[in-house]
Amino acid sequence: VTALIVDDERLARLELRRLLAAHPEVEIVGEARHAKEALDLIPKLAPDLVFLDIQMPGMTGFDLLERLEEVPQIIFTTAYDAYAIRAFEVSALDYLLKPIDPKRLAAALSKVRPPTQPGRLEQVFLRDGDRCWVVRLPDIFLLESEGNYTRVWFDNERPLIRRSLNALEDQLDDAMFFRAGRKEIINLKWIDKVNIGVNGGLVVTLRGGRTVEMSRRQSARLREVLSL
Amino acid sequence: MTTRKIYWICQVLGWGLYSAAGAVGVSQEIGWRPAVVAGYLLFGVYSIALTELFRREIRRRQWLTASGSRMMLSLGLGALMVGSIQTFLVIAVSLALDRRSTLLLQPANALWLWLGIIGVTSVWTILYVSLTTTRRSREKEVHAQLAVREAELRALEAQVNPHFLFNCLNSIRGLVLEDPALAQDMITRFANILRYNLHRDLNHTVPLASEVGVVTDYLALESIRLEERLKVRMAVEPGAAEVAVPPMLLQSLVENAVKHGIAPLPGGGELLVSARLEGDVLILEVGNPGLLGNPRPGATGLGLANARERLRILYGTRASLTLENRNGSVAATVMVPRVV
Repeated sequence: VTALIVDDERLARLELRRLLAAHPEVEIVGEARHAKEALDLIPKLAPDLVFLDIQMPGMTGFDLLERLEEVPQIIFTTAYDAYAIRAFEVSALDYLLKPIDPKRLAAALSKVRPPTQPGRLEQVFLRDGDRCWVVRLPDIFLLESEGNYTRVWFDNERPLIRRSLNALEDQLDDAMFFRAGRKEIINLKWIDKVNIGVNGGLVVTLRGGRTVEMSRRQSARLREVLSL
Repeated sequence: MTTRKIYWICQVLGWGLYSAAGAVGVSQEIGWRPAVVAGYLLFGVYSIALTELFRREIRRRQWLTASGSRMMLSLGLGALMVGSIQTFLVIAVSLALDRRSTLLLQPANALWLWLGIIGVTSVWTILYVSLTTTRRSREKEVHAQLAVREAELRALEAQVNPHFLFNCLNSIRGLVLEDPALAQDMITRFANILRYNLHRDLNHTVPLASEVGVVTDYLALESIRLEERLKVRMAVEPGAAEVAVPPMLLQSLVENAVKHGIAPLPGGGELLVSARLEGDVLILEVGNPGLLGNPRPGATGLGLANARERLRILYGTRASLTLENRNGSVAATVMVPRVV
């Protein structure tokens, strides 16, 4: 896997490089000295994995993730930050405490998934108040527009994120997500039942019970997509 | 046992014993009569009820926390009223139980009865008030002690900055292979800072020179982390070094300046530390680039508030700490008298 190290301290980056020398499967493709630099480097280098410090000058690691369109796999690193650690714990995110214990590094690396074809949006970073998530797209079953915001439904969570449904639609894989109506995008893999509604359009029931009513036009498109 | 329980035991025992003694006394004088016993029994019951109502009123109107004269007046009038009602009830009940009690209606007898009961009720009031207020003042004392502890703890937390501690250890770990001699030096400085933190006594002063020493160690460690981003200019007048200052005062100002002034800037900046004497006043200044007025999220202002509080305790109004914008940078200025 290719990896990028984001940390404002040169010695911290150096130390992580040394620790990673014991893991030849990780190829370090670059280093960023702060979040702004990472914001340029991540789309350019498209690393599979990013080691990300939280407290950096100018912009925190969390702010950086919120601005990224494509979020690679992340391992957070921090020396001590009560706020961030709480966020990691409630969100079950992977994080390493500096100075980094080689055993914990190995454990975190063992959870890293092998790279897939580049250019495909695989996961998104979501933050809602105190909590944050890195969610894999197949786990999202519904995206619902709420003005300029979008509510993202996955597991038992449904945080609101600061991006419009239209902006998200362009980035999503057509094979997985379908624009069901003005306000909804559904995950095709999560469709449980399809019924015919009163107005002649289709009514889709997703696993978990949520139903979405569709216009005639979208119903026809869905028939097309599903029959393929 | 809760205070509530104690109160009720005292009520029942006190009025019970008083009524029993009264019943026995009167019976010895005029012979045993059921009406006397019943009268005293009832007296005990309604006395408990009336004084309980009185207690509730005292609490509801918060007479115990009122000013001295108002408290005395309210309690006195209250006791007078309770006693009068008791007297009225005694006479009414006695007449109802035994027609021969008309003796009580004679003004002189009624007056003595009234005065006696007022006396008892006054004793009740005095006991209640004194017991309650000593309990309250004890609670207050405990509260005050807790507040002091909490302040001490907060001060400690503000001084041992875990973020700095762990970042430092991480940098030194990185330095070990790159520059072993520097790594050794940094471990020594790290130890100095820890020792200074552990052995300091916040209630005593230290010569400015030792405070400058720990600040130098601290800045050396921060430059390992921040490297070229942290530039330091330090100017300490020879005469100033001997002046006694509160420990960790300069250190907390410098730490604040690095944390809020230098670390958030990707390009870093210059930190300025100066100490000079003007007459009998020591002037400490710490400057960093930036602007005041937009505190970063997570900044509590606790460090400065703590420093101000300690200056106030040690020097009263003779010391000051100000924070201001000065030609595009933030300057913290402390003035302390040369002699405590």
